[in-house]
Amino acid sequence: MNDPVPAAALADHAFLRGMPPDEVAWLARAAVAVSLPAGRRLFDEGAPAEKCWLLTSGQVALDLHMPGQANLIVETLGPGDVLGFSWLSPPHQWQFGAEAVEPTDAFELDGATVKALSDSHPELGYQLVLRFLATAVERLQATRIRLLDLYAAPSRDAGAR
Amino acid sequence: MDGPIPGDGPLLMEAAALDSLLEALRGAGYRVIGPTVRDRAIILDELGSAGDLPFGWGVSLEPGGYRIRRRDDSAAFGHSAGPQSWKQFLHPPRQKVWSAHRTAGGFEVEAADEPAPRLAFFGVRPCDLRAIQIQDQVLGRGEHAGSRYAARRAGVFIVAVNCTEPGATCFCASMDTGPQAGPGYDLALTEMAGEGTHRFLIDVGSPAGAGMLAGVPVRRADNATAGSARSAVAGAADQMGRLMPADILHDLMAGSESAARWDDVASRCLTCGNCTMACPTCFCTTVEDVTDLSGDHAERWQLWDSCFDLDFSHLHGGPVRSSPRSRYRQWLTHKLGTWHDQFGSSGCVGCGRCIVWCPVGIDLTEEVAALQAEAGQAQNSPTAPPHAQTGGEL
Amino acid sequence: MSSLQAVPARYRIVSRAAETSDTVTLGLEPVDEPIAPHQPGQFAMLYAFGSGEVPISISGEPGRPGLVYTIRSVGAVTRALCEAGPGQMIGVRGPYGTDWGVTDAAGQDLIVVAGGIGLAPLRPALLAALAARERYRRVTVLIGTRTPGDLVFAGELDTWREQGADVRVTVDRATAGWRGHVGVVTQLIDRVDVDPVATLALVCGPEVMMRLAARALSARGVAPGRIRISLERNMRCGIAECGHCQLGPLLLCRDGPVISYQRAVPLLSVKEL
Repeated sequence: MNDPVPAAALADHAFLRGMPPDEVAWLARAAVAVSLPAGRRLFDEGAPAEKCWLLTSGQVALDLHMPGQANLIVETLGPGDVLGFSWLSPPHQWQFGAEAVEPTDAFELDGATVKALSDSHPELGYQLVLRFLATAVERLQATRIRLLDLYAAPSRDAGAR
Repeated sequence: MDGPIPGDGPLLMEAAALDSLLEALRGAGYRVIGPTVRDRAIILDELGSAGDLPFGWGVSLEPGGYRIRRRDDSAAFGHSAGPQSWKQFLHPPRQKVWSAHRTAGGFEVEAADEPAPRLAFFGVRPCDLRAIQIQDQVLGRGEHAGSRYAARRAGVFIVAVNCTEPGATCFCASMDTGPQAGPGYDLALTEMAGEGTHRFLIDVGSPAGAGMLAGVPVRRADNATAGSARSAVAGAADQMGRLMPADILHDLMAGSESAARWDDVASRCLTCGNCTMACPTCFCTTVEDVTDLSGDHAERWQLWDSCFDLDFSHLHGGPVRSSPRSRYRQWLTHKLGTWHDQFGSSGCVGCGRCIVWCPVGIDLTEEVAALQAEAGQAQNSPTAPPHAQTGGEL
Repeated sequence: MSSLQAVPARYRIVSRAAETSDTVTLGLEPVDEPIAPHQPGQFAMLYAFGSGEVPISISGEPGRPGLVYTIRSVGAVTRALCEAGPGQMIGVRGPYGTDWGVTDAAGQDLIVVAGGIGLAPLRPALLAALAARERYRRVTVLIGTRTPGDLVFAGELDTWREQGADVRVTVDRATAGWRGHVGVVTQLIDRVDVDPVATLALVCGPEVMMRLAARALSARGVAPGRIRISLERNMRCGIAECGHCQLGPLLLCRDGPVISYQRAVPLLSVKEL
């Protein structure tokens, strides 16, 4: 059962911290509260990307299909995180899959509705873009750190000058 | 005559009686180490007799330059900044720490316990006396009280020599280590070598010092002679070739981490480490574990090391201090700055050896003056850059 | 005889457990007079006959007889130690250095953040806290590791949970079958509940990871003076007389390896200090 979301509940989410109440109220029109059981796949790679989720509890894994193996997890997201960027820009296609690894609650936002609201309320669009950008930067920095492979054994060729 | 008592007023001894003093030391079981001319330098080695001392030899000193030269007089101690310091006898360049050999059940370890030699240091300049005391603090006190350094040090008899003629690169007065020897000697000599006279004023600094003079021809010094010797030493303080602002050094070094001057000195510094070898307080060592060909016998040796060596700061596949800039900065900021934090005093005694023995003539007094000027400009500039921040950019 | 020994005490390996493909935990019993007991966070210089010495932090439970060290094979000496087996003799000099001071968290929350093999030096502090669990409020253990196969002490995590610790593990890179967190360990810090005024945080791992984790903890309000890290530099003597382990005014074998983040921050921010 998908319930509408009161603006006050939406405003509490970490992703929307600091968003002016007026804009939150508009955004609430695009949101429904969802509860996903463990194992529910939210989307698969290649499918049309039309939504995003603000997670409030549980854990969602972003994964990639590997032939001959179980899907490989590339990142896990939890309460306070936003899931789903690919709806924002062409080709509007999911680059990864997503699965709830635990029972997960979230606010599901409909992409088309958010876009329409942002067209008529540019301030909402601006606030959302700022936040998506900040999250992307944070994940890029974290990914760079993971690429450093800090826990690997020290390399013999390190420090060449 | 009756045995002299420490603090009872200075004594006078003719230069001809030096052999008598040396024999007294040898008779008491000491090996006497002192300056002597060899290989066109004044080095420290065992003295067979007073004749081994470098009578009439002086030195010409400049950044990156050392020449011995003939003096006009026959002074035995009219020189400074030789390539060696007394640390090679108290903190030897190579020492075996322990040896081990394989057994059926594993291995056995034996500490290398050589008895500490009984050494008398003859001719310790005030700067070098302070340097010995600085190394005592680092290597021989507190938790190091039972160390081999402490054992070697305990047996040493010190005959200091006050300075009346500083070398061109000396700055002991700035560092408050000379030209008058501070406490810690058994005997302190002030040489007076002029027309027709050659004698020594002697200050007794300990009961052992007093006892050593028992068979040596000495007499009470008259006030005029004593006064003349004292003022010669005091006058030396005004003839120093260099100056250091000792009281601001710790803070200057602490604030200098990103100074541009380090790049300047790095363009000249060869990171050869001569300064650390010649410096009388540098104490860093490394350990080397070696086995024989059979692999059944292993030894651990302690060797002098230098923070200029690339391997010194080796960590996880590379040196932490890789650039010459960082290594020179480490040496100078440690010597003049963080030494205070670690050991409670400056690490520099103003002997000037690092200036003389640097192949490219880097002068730390000049570097300090430049750092001071740069810090002063940074303070006064309205657009002074903020301290370097760790990045947060994309 | 100096209180700082220069000659290693001999110990015999009585147990050897492979933690990962390159990491081994050795249990030792004394052959000669045992050395003084380690405090959590302290280290010893371990000697492999004919090979040399390396500084290794204690990784075993304090108060138990014998010594336990977890060693990663990264060079000649550690390789020799990792290849040694029960019955073999090695040398031990120590304990040296500062300790984690875990009892300073009494009555407060304890957060332990470990990166890779950094969990080994933290394990004694954690075990000490769990042995006196009622003295602490919440005990949280956040572990970052390269892949699931690189997790050390993997078999103990559930025991720690049973003893009252909230243990969360994240991997940089998942392998097939891993259903846990995937991401940097600072993400775990961002998601855990932190009481800024009543927390002591202990952090250990690669230096970059410790800087990032300490920053993340600071961002959650934990005072830099209440965050402790364990620093590493080239150590040769372990007894503050060879000069190798200097970091600015500190001699890490004596003033560390555990130091407060507050003291470390100005030193870590200078390149090539």
